[in-house]
Amino acid sequence: MDIVVHEATADAAVLECSGRLNMVSAPTFRETVAQVVTGGRPRVVVELSKVEFMDSSGLGALVGCLKTARQAGGDLRIAAPSDQVEMVLKLSNMDKILRTYPDGDAAVTDWG
Amino acid sequence: MSTAVGGHNLDLACPPDDVTAVHAFLASVWETEPTLSTEDRMALELALVELTSNVIEHGAGASGVACSLRVDVGQDAVEALLTDDGVPVPVDPRAAQLPDALAESGRGLALVQMVVDDLRYERVDDRNRWIVRRGRGGSVASSASRSD
Repeated sequence: MDIVVHEATADAAVLECSGRLNMVSAPTFRETVAQVVTGGRPRVVVELSKVEFMDSSGLGALVGCLKTARQAGGDLRIAAPSDQVEMVLKLSNMDKILRTYPDGDAAVTDWG
Repeated sequence: MSTAVGGHNLDLACPPDDVTAVHAFLASVWETEPTLSTEDRMALELALVELTSNVIEHGAGASGVACSLRVDVGQDAVEALLTDDGVPVPVDPRAAQLPDALAESGRGLALVQMVVDDLRYERVDDRNRWIVRRGRGGSVASSASRSD
């Protein structure tokens, strides 16, 4: 998967992801979020409109990154999930844990 | 890795192969089965990548694990068989349940259960056999409610 990091505000970043979030890419995804958080941006938005596939390895990575962000005083939000990602979020009930926004800007703006 | 798309068969040796080969294989299967619905494809890709991920993560010995995936697209249902030469699976996969919300693993088999109509596991002749069946045209939600 490809991840482009946009430094949206002083403490928030939008990660524009594309490809697949599975057991192959999950370690890279976790490392990227950890770097963003330790770099001073604990408010993380994961933009998933171009992620064609996510599975339980990807869900686990999102949960791990949610914890990383919260431990640093921030949070992790999801933006624009694709149909496949939305299916997996709903089946796993993670749509109740990970707050979802229509796009990255909306998620960042809502932090104020 | 070797593939025979006409018969929808994929052989994997992990490492170096990984689930990327399963994604590519299923894309080629879908090309030859254009009448299969998007929902069926999404459900089957999730189920088969989850099962293969489990084999690679938990079944591999010192020299890795070799597995074979066969997919049969019928008029009414899609059946798949994943076999591997890994270690036996100690849990009952049919009893899989979602873990706590903040768990970072343990969701794979529960998700598979939700998107297929039948999931069976057997140990035969030193091989693990995972058998999956999904009726064509069903919604993901209806599969989930049937397994409750």
